[in-house]
Amino acid sequence: MLKKLLLVEDNPKDLELTLVALERSLLANEVVTARDGVEAIDWLFCEGAHAGRDREDPAVVLLDLKLPRMDGLEVLAKIKGDPATRHIPVVMLTASREEADLVRSYDLGVNAFVVKPVDFQDFFKAIRDLGMFWAVLNEPHPGRRPPDVPMKVTEV
Amino acid sequence: MSKHRACRAISHRAVSSHSSFDFRLFCRYCLTSFPSYMPNESHSHPPHGGLQAPPGLTLADDEALAIRLQADAPAMACEHEPIRIPESIQPHGFLVGIDSRDWTVRRVSANLVDHLNVQAEAALGQSAIALFASCAPELATELKNVVLHDLALLQPVTVGDNIYNVTAHRVRDLMVVEFELRDDARSSLDSLYPQIRAAVEDIQAAETPEHLFRIAGMHIRLLTGFDRVLIYRFDAQWNGQVVGEERNDALPSYFDLRFPASDIPAQARELYLLNRIRIIPDADYVPVPIVSDEALRAEPLDMTYCVLRSVSPVHLQYMRNMGTPASMSISILRDGKLWGLVSCHHSTSRRVPTHVRAACDFLVQILAMQIANRDRSADSADRVERQHTHATLLGYMAREQHYVDGLLRHPEPFLGIADAAGAAVVVEGQCAAVGGTPTKAQIADLVQWLGTARSDDELYVTDCLSRDLPMAADWAETASGLLAVSISQIHRSYVLWFRPEVTRTVNWGGNPRKSRDTTGKLSPRVSFDTWKETVRLQSEPWTEPQIDTVLALRNSIISIVMRNAEELADLAGELKRINAELEAFSYSVSHDLRAPFRHIVGYAELLREMPALTNDKQAERYVSTIIESAHTAGKLVDGLLGFSQTGRISLSKRPVQINDLVRDCLRVLEPDMKDRVIEWTIGDLGRAVGDANMFRQVFQNLLSNAIKYSRTREVAKIAVLRETTANEIVFSVSDNGVGFDMRYIDKLFGVFQRLHRMEEFEGTGIGLANVKRIAQRHGGRAWAEGRLGDGATFYFSIPKNSE
Repeated sequence: MLKKLLLVEDNPKDLELTLVALERSLLANEVVTARDGVEAIDWLFCEGAHAGRDREDPAVVLLDLKLPRMDGLEVLAKIKGDPATRHIPVVMLTASREEADLVRSYDLGVNAFVVKPVDFQDFFKAIRDLGMFWAVLNEPHPGRRPPDVPMKVTEV
Repeated sequence: MSKHRACRAISHRAVSSHSSFDFRLFCRYCLTSFPSYMPNESHSHPPHGGLQAPPGLTLADDEALAIRLQADAPAMACEHEPIRIPESIQPHGFLVGIDSRDWTVRRVSANLVDHLNVQAEAALGQSAIALFASCAPELATELKNVVLHDLALLQPVTVGDNIYNVTAHRVRDLMVVEFELRDDARSSLDSLYPQIRAAVEDIQAAETPEHLFRIAGMHIRLLTGFDRVLIYRFDAQWNGQVVGEERNDALPSYFDLRFPASDIPAQARELYLLNRIRIIPDADYVPVPIVSDEALRAEPLDMTYCVLRSVSPVHLQYMRNMGTPASMSISILRDGKLWGLVSCHHSTSRRVPTHVRAACDFLVQILAMQIANRDRSADSADRVERQHTHATLLGYMAREQHYVDGLLRHPEPFLGIADAAGAAVVVEGQCAAVGGTPTKAQIADLVQWLGTARSDDELYVTDCLSRDLPMAADWAETASGLLAVSISQIHRSYVLWFRPEVTRTVNWGGNPRKSRDTTGKLSPRVSFDTWKETVRLQSEPWTEPQIDTVLALRNSIISIVMRNAEELADLAGELKRINAELEAFSYSVSHDLRAPFRHIVGYAELLREMPALTNDKQAERYVSTIIESAHTAGKLVDGLLGFSQTGRISLSKRPVQINDLVRDCLRVLEPDMKDRVIEWTIGDLGRAVGDANMFRQVFQNLLSNAIKYSRTREVAKIAVLRETTANEIVFSVSDNGVGFDMRYIDKLFGVFQRLHRMEEFEGTGIGLANVKRIAQRHGGRAWAEGRLGDGATFYFSIPKNSE
């Protein structure tokens, strides 16, 4: 069973475009989406609405920086601050290369920091590379998903 | 005028025996005796407190003498006050010392026989009542009322043809009665009343000090008949100056002459405080010794209050040299201190009756009161005037951003408040000066010294700076006098006022160096010709009102500085708040403004792939335009954000190899150089210290521009060079491209300023603004030269120390 990807993104347009990009990467992994920091944490730590869920860590967390309720940096801090989740790779996806955010993210132990490019082709390439690296290269080869089978996306 | 040289005045002292008088001279200090026929004999003893070299003078031979003196003489007698115990009187009268307990005669002047026809030795031990029974029967009664130290003027006494004024005072148990011969029997104190009244009225009506001194001199001359009356004033160092004079042609003018402090030594000044009047009717007199009974013989009579007291032969020699055998001097006291003297001289011998002297004493006391009043009112007028100047300066300082400008832009009140010739303000090591001052480097040394040697003082004042700071001798021309107030100890801030050396040519009454003759022997001065002596390394002294006003100004400046500091703190807080707001703003811009452009591009890309559009060229073009526009907008936002970050983020400086940097930039720019022929000239660009990322942006931008604007040339020529000037490292990037019109040079480095149409040359219009900002943040500059159609050169410089 391939590990899932957790995508945390509040903006529906960014969410859709990111999913398109992931879709085109032909990844076989299931993508779980969370719309804010609290949802993401609940799912990751099997708390709240996800209490009792079978504990299964994602292959990677793609995390937007600006999120309602609990922002990306707080989510990152929680993941990297807990020995049970510290090993989960987290990629920060952000709209700007604001220096302070970058420094803070690396201080908290982020695995990668990606500024979303305006150009869709670039964006697509960035997402595909991320997916390939963290979900595929970072794992024993999962075997390719056939192109006609739609990518499985679940909302948390 | 009494003139005593402290260390070498020789007093005479009679050593009496019952049968004859062995008349010998004694040094006033060590009581070494000399035969009376050799008063100029040289001998030695330590210098006395009274010997005071005028400031700035070197008494080379006196010092040598003093050293010799200390080597071979004990200091034993210096604490004596020998001018009070000459043990002789002047011969124009006689003295009788009476024991107040039993009325026996204990001391008597040797000339008693000439006046009362009684041998001195015979009178000793006798009853005074018996002695005076025939000539002055009332005397005993009168004497009973005489109290200690109070000079009492008794009834005149007639003995045969002689009329005597009688004065008496007590020295412990001894009643000292002096009989003074007078020429004129008729006049009395009563008869002087109209004259005294006129004098008092005139003195009170005098308008100026000069007038006052002349009026006082005139009335004293009228009362006494002296040829010349001088008003003599002491300065802080006890040098004297003749400030008023009334005279006839018999004696020369001494007006405005100055006399060294050593002329009237300390113990003489002390005596003058106690006994206000001294008189010498004839300098050629032969002193009359005082004979005492067995019990008192060893103990000389304290003659402080005696009117007949004999004076030093040295002084008598002075008087003879001056051609003034008769003299009288009266002390002018102000607030219990010796302010000066009224000094009277006559070209022939002259007696002044007791009652006339009393009138003069009275007038001089009135004069002293006037002087004190005038000084006080002149002092307060001066203070009011200076306070006004202070207020004016305060106004100027309040109007300026920095108080320093309020002072420096108004040199007249700034200097005037202390009557200085130059002034300077030093704030945190920065010095600004007006008027005559030392150089800035010298002022820096001075402030350094003040900050260490005088760090505890809010005020430092001197009229001879080189005395405390020897190197200041070199700056004497501008800074002999210094008045300095410290504004802040922490920041080494001072306000300083300077006064030049008073190379005033002083009219000294006598040359202080010339108190010995050329043979090297002690001798009294024989010449009173004006001797000019320059007071070196000294300025005019600073007055109390000047000092007080400057201190008040200091307090004003400190309150201004403190108020400014508060305002500055407020401003800093406000700036911090605005900066934080700006940061939050640009943060949200960077996040939120980019997203819509990204979405437009993303969805448009998806749209373009839709089957419906695949074969529709028109629709395809529209979508492409949408994508391109959104791209441009996104780049603008990125550029603007980068520009704002260049201004905000902290620099991380390190040495950067510029040639490596340029190579990297060219690699990035390779796509732009496709199908281009470019001749590159890249010099040795060396190393520079700065923020590598920012330097990269600079070269990326300048190189990209050079490539872009030269693309119309068949063969583009681009040169990247480095030049080092006196203060700067200058990098230049030149091309042979389209150039620009120098008229629009100002627009070149502005944000969103473009000199070409978008279709001609693409770009955001932010690049050069960013280059300029990066240069500024490194302390350097950015500029350009060009001609339309003929290429351009762009320069980027950083300070030389950034190498």
